[in-house]
Amino acid sequence: MRARLIALLLAASAAAFGADRQFDRLVSAVEARFGARQTHIPLMGVANFFVKVARPEGAAGFRLAVFEDLKFDADGDGAALDRIMASASEGLHPLVRVRSRRDREWTYIYTGDVGKITKMLIATFGSGEATVMEVQLSMDAMVRALGEPARTGKLFAQ
Amino acid sequence: MRIAIVMVAAVLSSAWAQEIKLPPAFDKLAAKAQETVDVTLDSNMLQLAGKFLSDKDADQAKAKQIVAGLKGITVRTFEFAKEGEYSMADMDALREQLKAPAWSRIVGVTSKTENTEIYLKQSEGSRIGGMVIINAEPKELTIVSLSGTISVDDLSALGGQFGIPKVDAPKSKGKEEE
Repeated sequence: MRARLIALLLAASAAAFGADRQFDRLVSAVEARFGARQTHIPLMGVANFFVKVARPEGAAGFRLAVFEDLKFDADGDGAALDRIMASASEGLHPLVRVRSRRDREWTYIYTGDVGKITKMLIATFGSGEATVMEVQLSMDAMVRALGEPARTGKLFAQ
Repeated sequence: MRIAIVMVAAVLSSAWAQEIKLPPAFDKLAAKAQETVDVTLDSNMLQLAGKFLSDKDADQAKAKQIVAGLKGITVRTFEFAKEGEYSMADMDALREQLKAPAWSRIVGVTSKTENTEIYLKQSEGSRIGGMVIINAEPKELTIVSLSGTISVDDLSALGGQFGIPKVDAPKSKGKEEE
């Protein structure tokens, strides 16, 4: 019985670890490539708890990393960013990529495998700052995003 | 109608990887564009979308049936700051891939402000195995690729789903409009 519980606990931990690996890989890659450190966001734990309970817009949890003083050149670093995103997002499906020279911002959205709760990884890179977010979405919310993918991409790009 | 068809395909649309290769000229276009938007919906995502369409509603049921036959949708949009930043010759390498006998052009509309071309890939019977839509405006270029089985008539039924506007698609493989 005890062994079973331990096995279950290990399995759950492994699943949780696996679920977040793309987020962690991307955060590490951004720090390494663009010389940026994450900005501390106060009350993040409280906000995440609220999201898990209230599920606003079908979100069932999130992780967020905000970077400042990013050494990112929207004109010259595009190819490097594409490579970083392709590597970090391994295991996810690309959905939208928006490159805006007008706003000097790049946005990427990836989705996880289809399930009751599906992961969406969103990353935006602009002049001097970047945001990486992983959201656990209900299927309803995911379908809404799939219905208008270009709009979803532009929304996050703003 | 032309814009509506492009929008339908845009909302629905990974055929590049399987059948159509984006020519290197497109990278140059991306470098010149003010904004580019790439949308990729693979079969997994399309099936997910299909699960949420109701069997009870006739329109949704039809759309669900159509989505079930699709393998993927890819959309690339380039927005330019001013006119003349691209030419139709930039599309030549893409058009080279859309030639008979596998592909046929069913719509070609040319006007002063907009050019639209629709190409179909032949499949069994009346079904088609893929569709490519090129919509060129002075400051915007959109290329859409749908892979999977779909009939031209199905395009109309997809209107109103996933936020897709109602579409009056060409009724069948007809003559080109010029």
